[in-house]
Amino acid sequence: MSSPPIIEIKHLTKRYHHADEPAVKNLDMKINRGEIFGLLGPNGAGKTTTISILCSQIKADEGEININGKNLATEAAQIKKIIGVVPQEIALYQKLTAYENLKFFGNMYGLKGEDLKDRIISRAKAFGLEQKLHRKVDTFSGGMKRRVNLMAGILHRPRILILDEPTVGIDVQSKNVIIEYLQYLNKNEETTIVYTSHLMEEAERFCTHIAILDMGKIVTEGKPEELISGYPSCNNLEDIFLLLTGRSLRD
Amino acid sequence: MWLKFKASVIKESLLLMRDKAGLAMLFVMPMALILIMSLLQESTLKKLEERHTPILVINNDNDSLGAHIVAGLNETEFFELHQTIDGKPLNVQQLKELVTDGKYRVGIVISKGASDALRNKIKYEIQQQFPPEEGPLFSPPPDPGKPLPKIDVYFDPITQSAFKQAVMSALNEFFYAVEAGMVMEIYAGMLNDIVGIELQKAADFKNMINLTEKSSVGKEEKIIIPKPAQHNVPAWTIFAMFFIVIPLAGNIIKERESGMSLRLRTLPGSNLSVILGKAGVYFVVGMVQAASMLLLGMYILPLFGMASLTVGSGLPALLIVTIAVSLAATGYGILIGTVSTTQEQSSIFGSISVVILAALGGIWVPIFMMTETMVKVSKLSPLNWGLNAYYDIFLRNEPVSGILHYALYLLAFAMACIMAAWLYNRYKNLR
Repeated sequence: MSSPPIIEIKHLTKRYHHADEPAVKNLDMKINRGEIFGLLGPNGAGKTTTISILCSQIKADEGEININGKNLATEAAQIKKIIGVVPQEIALYQKLTAYENLKFFGNMYGLKGEDLKDRIISRAKAFGLEQKLHRKVDTFSGGMKRRVNLMAGILHRPRILILDEPTVGIDVQSKNVIIEYLQYLNKNEETTIVYTSHLMEEAERFCTHIAILDMGKIVTEGKPEELISGYPSCNNLEDIFLLLTGRSLRD
Repeated sequence: MWLKFKASVIKESLLLMRDKAGLAMLFVMPMALILIMSLLQESTLKKLEERHTPILVINNDNDSLGAHIVAGLNETEFFELHQTIDGKPLNVQQLKELVTDGKYRVGIVISKGASDALRNKIKYEIQQQFPPEEGPLFSPPPDPGKPLPKIDVYFDPITQSAFKQAVMSALNEFFYAVEAGMVMEIYAGMLNDIVGIELQKAADFKNMINLTEKSSVGKEEKIIIPKPAQHNVPAWTIFAMFFIVIPLAGNIIKERESGMSLRLRTLPGSNLSVILGKAGVYFVVGMVQAASMLLLGMYILPLFGMASLTVGSGLPALLIVTIAVSLAATGYGILIGTVSTTQEQSSIFGSISVVILAALGGIWVPIFMMTETMVKVSKLSPLNWGLNAYYDIFLRNEPVSGILHYALYLLAFAMACIMAAWLYNRYKNLR
């Protein structure tokens, strides 16, 4: 018997003030333990809204979300402890050093002392930042900032890691380090990863399960290879994406 | 909770310490402001104290009335008497022109025969006191038709009425003294004529009443005379403390713009400890500001030849008011940071609103110089509550009970700001 999904979304709806259409419409979605779940879609498809609701950044208008068997509406405090969030923005204090930033986030998750220090140093080694931990973030390159941004979300070893376009705007080397480390976390720490991206090739290579959203609804989902074989006219994920969401501009 | 609070305090302290421009704005600028404003006001006051109002006098009387007036005006500290121009005696036309041109504030013309006219008037009044059957007391008898002694006073047209009144009352004082002297002199002459007793020189009939200016402050030894420092130090301290609004609001907006506040919302536990950490650091900065400014008033201003700030004995009251002002400023900063959408908006709105509240509250122009309407309006400004409380401590030696109402107003203001920020945030998040 398969284990229950770690994230289960039922009939989720969110409408922003003054928006004509809901950002997310009656969305149903299941994410299984240990998956690397890619949430893809054009701009305005509802990816960030869905992720923001999962992270408790915004509230849903309707629907129910259960994470690790707990209801998000009533047990958000418990859920937040097992979630790590890596926002699209570099949400770091630019005038603090990488170490000071990571220490702050570690403290926010209740980590302290030698344990926190060890975690920071081991993650920094993995991300090639060990020698630069005591430099201010505003002196870092885009790739270094992205890596610190990610480190801040995984210090507490979350069971679920939610990433909003974690590799946007960085060099290939940094992108590679990030993707490899996320795969390491998924494999060795059994972290379930929920990930949004516009990079179809990266998603195809990285994700174990993909859902394509458009107009606030899932238009298709499945394992990348299953999706590609399911659309004979398409050679890759990008072809499927364009086939299902169209070629017109969305913003 | 404690760990999050501590982390938040450390983070905010580091950010603040690395913001050199922000620190300069919070500490160096207000200190410079206190120093400059105090120096300006001190020198202005000194000039006012040292300057004697120049007045012109034409004494055509050349008798006791004219002599008394000239001597009296010379004795007073307020006037600088001129009876000649370029060594030449003045005429009335010249005097009028010089006063009209504003070169002299006042011109006095004592008419010829003024003393005689006064003597005639006094003798006439004395004669009226006796029954007609007594016959004439004086030889020659006083002339009832003789005009009264004439003294004309000309004022610079821009002279304010308060100054005119002060000059007129000073002149009247001299006239009464001269009149009294003449009355005594005439009665002494009559006594000599009637009973043959020649009176010795009269004793000092002046200063027979001990009229002393007193302060209404209860304890005599603790009377504090208001000096520029007593206004400037608390006024600019409050102003500087409220300028915390700009870095605090900027900090809140920067966190929002960088996505940090959203990220903080994803962290476990309440965000209250993070907010308290932030508010706590800025509150402490406000307290340090106040301490620095007060020390500047006490120890640095005297180095520039100015009177030092006298704190008095109300240290507990001082501490309570300073805490209340710092909390009010922090609350206001949180509100501005919450409702502003950009850093530019918060810094413009924050600074202008503080300047307006300061102007209304009597920081720029002391309340006693305001119109009645503006005094009423000033009571709406939290900076005014703080300033009044400091005045009460420094100038009236009020204990804690005397300033508690101001502290409570300030605390209520802080609470109202925080509540409004919370409600606004809630409303925004629900949208």
